[in-house]
Amino acid sequence: MRVPLAWLNLVHEKSRLVVALAGVAFAVLLVFMNLGFLGALAQSASMFYQYMDADVFLVSPQTLEISSSKAFPRDRLYQAAGIKGVARVMPLYLGYLQWRNPETRDSRAVFMFAYNPQDRVFLLPELNTSATLAALDRPDTVLFDRLSRPEYGSKDIGTKTEVDRRTVTIGGQYELGGGFAADATVVSSDQNFLRLLKIPLNLVNMGLIKLEPETDAQAIAAQLRQVLPKDVVVKTKAEIIENDRSYWITSTSTGFIFGMGVAVSCVVGVVIVYQILYTDISDHMKQYATLKAMGYRSGYLFNVVIQEAIILSVLGYIPGFLSSVGLYAFAASATNNALPVAMDWQRAVMVFILTIAMCVLSALISVRKVVTAEPVELF
Amino acid sequence: MSHLSNDLPSDSPHFSSEEIAVSVRHLDYYYGQGDLRKQVLYDINLELSKGQIVIMTGPSGSGKTTLLTLIGALRFLQEGSLNVLGQELVGLSKSELVEVRRNIGFIFQAHNLFDSLTASQNVEMAVEVLQDWGNKRQRAVEMLAQVGLAERVDYKPKALSGGQKQRVAIARALVNQPSLILADEPTAALDKQSGRDVVTLMQTLAKEQGCTILMVTHDNRILDVADRIVNLVDGHLESDQNFTAFSQTHDPKALV
Ligand SMILES: Nc1ncnc2c1ncn2[C@@H]1O[C@H](COP(=O)(O)OP(=O)(O)OP(=O)(O)O)[C@@H](O)[C@H]1O
Ligand SMILES: [Mg+2]
Repeated sequence: MRVPLAWLNLVHEKSRLVVALAGVAFAVLLVFMNLGFLGALAQSASMFYQYMDADVFLVSPQTLEISSSKAFPRDRLYQAAGIKGVARVMPLYLGYLQWRNPETRDSRAVFMFAYNPQDRVFLLPELNTSATLAALDRPDTVLFDRLSRPEYGSKDIGTKTEVDRRTVTIGGQYELGGGFAADATVVSSDQNFLRLLKIPLNLVNMGLIKLEPETDAQAIAAQLRQVLPKDVVVKTKAEIIENDRSYWITSTSTGFIFGMGVAVSCVVGVVIVYQILYTDISDHMKQYATLKAMGYRSGYLFNVVIQEAIILSVLGYIPGFLSSVGLYAFAASATNNALPVAMDWQRAVMVFILTIAMCVLSALISVRKVVTAEPVELF
Repeated sequence: MSHLSNDLPSDSPHFSSEEIAVSVRHLDYYYGQGDLRKQVLYDINLELSKGQIVIMTGPSGSGKTTLLTLIGALRFLQEGSLNVLGQELVGLSKSELVEVRRNIGFIFQAHNLFDSLTASQNVEMAVEVLQDWGNKRQRAVEMLAQVGLAERVDYKPKALSGGQKQRVAIARALVNQPSLILADEPTAALDKQSGRDVVTLMQTLAKEQGCTILMVTHDNRILDVADRIVNLVDGHLESDQNFTAFSQTHDPKALV
């Protein structure tokens, strides 16, 4: 076995090694946090749809994503109901209410889902118990999301507060989470939607189409596109999830910001590792020049520096990964799990590769120095 | 002046490569370019026989190190010819020069050991350059024992004295049994006694291994180990004598 020069050089300078590893770990942590938020964003964008009991969705062509949807004529849904293979069509009304915190009397926006209580729009069991269904039917009564942020005040059943100059009562609870679109959500009947927002019910924000079992959603969607006028867009569940996801990631600056975050973290990592490697090379120039005089080629020294970089990346990744897992758990609990940041192995592998790439890049920048080690300068 | 061969035409087959380790012919060397170009070596002719210990002395700036690094295949030749261990260096590529260096042991004024490696590992690095993995540890340990460091093989340089470190550097230079050893003021950083010890050690080992030593030194206390002393002045080989002749013609104090 060769003398593991790279390893021995690194561990010889203990405090420098600790600084280097802390630097790499920090960069890894920053990358993980940015990707974690980005992933949570993508996931929360799809979360609403995951809970909806529908296979095909109708939206207005002007709708970019769920929280800013535009309305389209309800008749389109009734037209769709005539297609063979369609089991049920369900209009979904969406809007924002100004919810007054009964304790502080501050008003904040809540995102509202409204539908006919006869329709089982959501798969959440809590929303389909007889008690909640009865509550839904009562006028000026809404169901309140337990995962809403605490700034909205009491979420208890029976809480009364003022919403757009009407008194509204919390009649039930469920757990959905607003993701990036909203800090709080409520569910109400279509009748209450009309009462509170005064928007006619013949305009809907989203049309949910449930298909007969064993029906090909792609085929029905294609058929609907043929039949329906161009004032609605037909999307399968997978398509609408992808639509919202890519809206949040690419069309808003959110994806860009987190992407920048990843890039900046990588630059921080590259600079730290470069600094460490460069110092290490500078300290050993005489020794490296001696190796060259002994007949070692630049390639060997190049390898030593690359090995040092890989050792730093592997050893720095481990604490970076572990602290990220910890911070993910913290972020998820701090947001009541509305921000579903979680580690998955693809991301872990991807960041690991990124870390190695980062360190190798630093090595490539600093390695030019070692190639200039000249034996004649030893005399 | 039998070793000086100024009178021989450079193209004549004047030596047998079996006996000659290094042959320098009509060598000129310049530093710098254009207006700054400055000649530092003038028509150097020198032959080192195998097994000889040759000391090169001369005033500071006379070109000793330059000549040593040329012989050591560490610089590109400009004018003249230079044959080292049967290999003509003129026209060799960088990579071919590296190959030549593997048969040469270098000893520098500074030991240049890796602080992070033990004495043995530092010596093993030299064995590894020849792709020899099998018994490198054993060879390193044996070599260190020969330089009197049997008890110190697993010490790091920090735990060794200056003389001991230089002995590790000598072990590193000798472990591959090179045919030629080039040393530039190997005793300059050592006190009188360790300097003397180091040179005696080099002498003993060189005699055992039959290798040629070319050593640059200002240290007139160690001149007696030399079979030959060449004196370089302002880039010219001024004299080439044995120790006795040299000490009669040169005031020892003038060398220091
Ligand atoms: N890299 C260089 N570039 C330009 N000039 C140089 C360079 N190296 C040495 N010289 C010059 O060449 C001449 C010979 O230098 P060299 O180092 O060979 O002398 P030396 O005999 O080894 O001296 P010393 O005994 O002080 O070590 C000196 O005048 C020196 O200034
Ligand atoms: Mg010199």
